[in-house]
Amino acid sequence: MNGLDLAPLWLTLRLAATTTLLLLLLGLPLAAWLAHSRSRLRPLVDTLVAMPLVLPPSVLGFYLLLALSPANAPGAWLRELFGVNLVFSFAGLVIGSVLFSLPFMVQPVAAALSGLPPSLREAAWTMGKSRLATLLRVELPCVRPALVAGVVMSFAHTVGEFGLVLMIGGNIPGVTRVASIAVYNEVEALNYPAAHAYAAILCAFSFAVVLLVNLLRRRAERIA
Amino acid sequence: MKPTLLSLLALCAAAFANAAPVQVAVAANVQYAFADIAASFSRDTGIAVQPSFASSGKIATQIMNGAPFELFLSADNEFPQKLAQAGFTLQAPKSYALGALVLWSKDPQFNPRQWQQWLAAGSGKVAIANPRTAPYGSEALRVLDYYRLSASVTPRLVSGDNIAQAAQFVVSGAAQAGFVAKALVLAPQMKGAGRWVDIPAASHQPIVQDMVLLKPAAANPDARKLFDYLSGPAARQILQRYGYRLP
Repeated sequence: MNGLDLAPLWLTLRLAATTTLLLLLLGLPLAAWLAHSRSRLRPLVDTLVAMPLVLPPSVLGFYLLLALSPANAPGAWLRELFGVNLVFSFAGLVIGSVLFSLPFMVQPVAAALSGLPPSLREAAWTMGKSRLATLLRVELPCVRPALVAGVVMSFAHTVGEFGLVLMIGGNIPGVTRVASIAVYNEVEALNYPAAHAYAAILCAFSFAVVLLVNLLRRRAERIA
Repeated sequence: MKPTLLSLLALCAAAFANAAPVQVAVAANVQYAFADIAASFSRDTGIAVQPSFASSGKIATQIMNGAPFELFLSADNEFPQKLAQAGFTLQAPKSYALGALVLWSKDPQFNPRQWQQWLAAGSGKVAIANPRTAPYGSEALRVLDYYRLSASVTPRLVSGDNIAQAAQFVVSGAAQAGFVAKALVLAPQMKGAGRWVDIPAASHQPIVQDMVLLKPAAANPDARKLFDYLSGPAARQILQRYGYRLP
């Protein structure tokens, strides 16, 4: 364990936290829309949100590499807009992770929201609450277990990301070398002690996360 | 009808005779050259070859953990040596090629004559193979050191999982330039993609590429035939065509 480079672990936590925060901002409105909309676009959006569950990370990685590359139009445009290259950068990994973990945030929350009785929202509206206030003050507190599950699973899924980062990360220490990549590097370099250390930490973390989600679910079932 | 049936039988017999293709693990820098060598070998001998391509480090790890490869063409001489010391080989490793590095870019500003100045002044990412698992990566770092380019280039380095991914970063334009194996830019598949310049061999350690026969080859005499073929005139000619020097 001595001399284990902790930077990949911190980077992983930073990536997962940033991704989860962005998913809360983007995912919750999307989940609310999916839960309540009667639009004909809804099945389409529903499908797109679920796509990362079945797509191989290499497909997403390949498209993102081309999209973010400064040699292609979207990447060049983003570079002009933000002044940075997104491929091989922390920001690029965040974009990839948000797309990749989107269903883990949106799906449980949307399912829970659509399970709430409509009278709840309608009562709030008649008392003069706006749609946003209703979502934030009435609906979301009612689906707290789903919300917590979404947050925890998004966070954990980002920690577990590998193929996507391998394709668009470029393995830069402190910028894109996350823990899963660090394990892979150490195994390839035949440095098993370091690989074991990273792997054990990730195992303990995953165990804690899944346990937490299970405990929350049981508590929610008891309350319901 | 009869000739068809006969030829079908002959085909079946041939298929049975060649039931086990030679399982070869090949370092990514040799992938295009090896495909040509394997085709030539199969044409000459009727023996099928099944190659897998990866970084030398990954292949060595896989072999140490029971991968059923019979022959390993490494990008260096250290991984085969490690395998020999650990008892995974049938005999001592043998050099089959000396690798060459090139700097490669699709940037229209790229000036092969003054590549050092261009590289130092640039701001885009520079792709190399993972220096810890791929010799072309570690030698690229030596080149940067030699030309005192480390300070300006190191912060812009991105490493590919193997030399082929480093090349792919250049082809997709995601990286502005890359240090890759000459064999990759000379491959017909890469023709017309950007320009490249030879890196003087004096600026880094020679990239001595060794191959070694592995334990599973004991049961397959065809593996040894391919091993010998790789030192023969046909294979040497192909290797030279892909920019390798010969040991």
